Amino acid sequence: MVITLFIIITIGFMVIRLMPGSMYADDADMTAAQMEILRAKYHLDKPIPVQYGIFLRDLVLKGDWGTSIKMYIGVPVFDVLKMKIPVSMYNNLFSLLISLPIGVLLGIIAAVRKNSIVDYTTSFMVVIFISVPSFIFATLLQYYAAFRSGWFPIIYEASATGFAKLHSLTLPIIALSLGPIARVTRYLRAELAETINSDFMLLARTKGLTEAQAILRHGIRNSLVPLANVVIPMFTHIMSGSMVIERIFSIPGMGGLMVSSINNTDYPLTLAVLIFYSVVSLVTVLVVDLAYGVIDPRIRIGGRHIE
Amino acid sequence: MSNVYSPTDPRFAHLGPEKFRLRQTDAVLLDAKFETKPIGFFRDAAMRFAKSKISIVALIAISIIGFMAIVGPYMTPYGYNDQNLDYINLPPKIPALARFGIFQGTRVLQNRRVDGLSDTSRYPEGSIIRIDNRRVMGGVELCDVTVDYYRYMGIDDDVYFLFGTDYLGRDLWTRVWRGTRVSLIIAIVSVICNVSIGLVYGSIAGYYGGSIDMTMMRITEIIDAMPDVVVVTLFILYFGSGLISIILALAVKNWIGTARMIRGQFYRFKNHEYVLAARTLGANDARLMFRHILPNSIGPIITRAMIAIPSAIFTESFLAYIGLGIRAPESSIGVLLSEGQKVLLYYPEQTFFPAVIISILMIGFNLLSNGLRDAFDPTQRGTE
Repeated sequence: MVITLFIIITIGFMVIRLMPGSMYADDADMTAAQMEILRAKYHLDKPIPVQYGIFLRDLVLKGDWGTSIKMYIGVPVFDVLKMKIPVSMYNNLFSLLISLPIGVLLGIIAAVRKNSIVDYTTSFMVVIFISVPSFIFATLLQYYAAFRSGWFPIIYEASATGFAKLHSLTLPIIALSLGPIARVTRYLRAELAETINSDFMLLARTKGLTEAQAILRHGIRNSLVPLANVVIPMFTHIMSGSMVIERIFSIPGMGGLMVSSINNTDYPLTLAVLIFYSVVSLVTVLVVDLAYGVIDPRIRIGGRHIE
Repeated sequence: MSNVYSPTDPRFAHLGPEKFRLRQTDAVLLDAKFETKPIGFFRDAAMRFAKSKISIVALIAISIIGFMAIVGPYMTPYGYNDQNLDYINLPPKIPALARFGIFQGTRVLQNRRVDGLSDTSRYPEGSIIRIDNRRVMGGVELCDVTVDYYRYMGIDDDVYFLFGTDYLGRDLWTRVWRGTRVSLIIAIVSVICNVSIGLVYGSIAGYYGGSIDMTMMRITEIIDAMPDVVVVTLFILYFGSGLISIILALAVKNWIGTARMIRGQFYRFKNHEYVLAARTLGANDARLMFRHILPNSIGPIITRAMIAIPSAIFTESFLAYIGLGIRAPESSIGVLLSEGQKVLLYYPEQTFFPAVIISILMIGFNLLSNGLRDAFDPTQRGTE
């Protein structure tokens, strides 16, 4: 995992530095001398491997991610990230947290009432919500629920706190959650429908449990086991989805930061954002691997107990 | 070779041919000859596919959009990049549908002064259709006016734009279908790329197994660990946002799934007896791989390609949204959506058409791939 991260950082750094054009090419009002001073300050006058060495040394030894050179001039990249990450995380975690229970609930209903009208409606909605991209929903919501009816603010209000903040985040969170809800629903429906037909469910019914008791105590618990492996990778999906959603609702988060840092050729910032996304997705993969063992000990591999 | 005894064999000459009697000459062959024609793999799948109505509907919807993507841009006299600053941001006007009260080319202008309505230099003859919501604010009487926007802008009656125009006066009908075409090309070509790479890679890893398999799979794991967003962004940053580089960027990571699937299929089939038989008859590795083992996976491959198409369309739009889409004058669904997004609150119809098309395409391809999966492999039915 560390090796992968290292490869990503290396490739990312090289790609960004090898891009055609200097970082200051478009600043016509700077004299050549000023340009030289700036280039020297950010080590841009050195060969690329040396630049990379300096970058790695600062990153590992001092925890210094470099300094933003265009958008937030002079501000350390780390401080910019510190400002932006909570905003994005707030959205993403929130949408993950609300999509889980709703998805589970819908999945259970669909599985229990299998082949009924409820099931068909749910399946139909699931297909739509999985297929149609989140930014289409975001656009729809923004137009109808915010602009036309005025129920919600059209864009995110950065200064708002408490309830008002939540209020202005409602639409982005809904737009982000629809896809994950549909995924959880579909997965749980398939899983639970299979579990309900298994022998131990028959046993549970035979020993006198009601249908509801049997499903609640035995069926759902067994279906939830594999769910973790769907939910955790979903977080990466939500993150990339939120880049567009943030742009639509003008939320000052990581997605917007990445877009504007690319457009403004603020490369230290771009690199840091890319590293951030890589770290999150690598951690996600790691968590899934660990979760396998924690949730269901039978799956634990490695053979520690085998003599 | 075993010995075949025949009446003409010189060793049996002393017995005479009459001693020989053919067995089974009077036995009746009870096997009836099949009256029906044999059904091949694809016929079988097609028959199963045709039973699912929803897949057929999806197929028809996709075909219509595909057809329009081919001929649509030529149906109007305007090119995809013909700018006309007299025709900016016009609403859609479809003469055939105007009788039913939709797409008449009207637009509501809000907060107009009532006393200005009779001014024919601002509101040409016959342009005002309805006046609503009269009110007095600050001593001035205001109202909302529904106008025939084409007349309001002083455009001839026989000029019409089916989907309206954008902020540069470009015909959106042409741009929408051209964009659909570009998006579909990007999606299909990138899927072909990723299936071809994944197919060869997965076949080699799966066929040879052992340390070759191990090494190849480690490589895919490393590539797979890199997040999609990062890989695609870096790729586009480095190679620029042309058609080819977007196509390749989409293929960079997606072939891994195909490769894994093919490898799994190879592990399933490579130890079957018929493979051994083919090997005994002298088939070489390449022939065994691609002629004998790979055709088993044709169903999953097609299904997988179908699933990959909507996700490629999605990624293309996603890139356009974050400003890494295809370059300016060219249009694609993502570009149209993100341009429409900027003027959503004023001219929602500019977002409407691309949004509908991308939604139909995504839903259609998802349903189609479900239908194909069920058709190719009925045992998978119902599992998602």
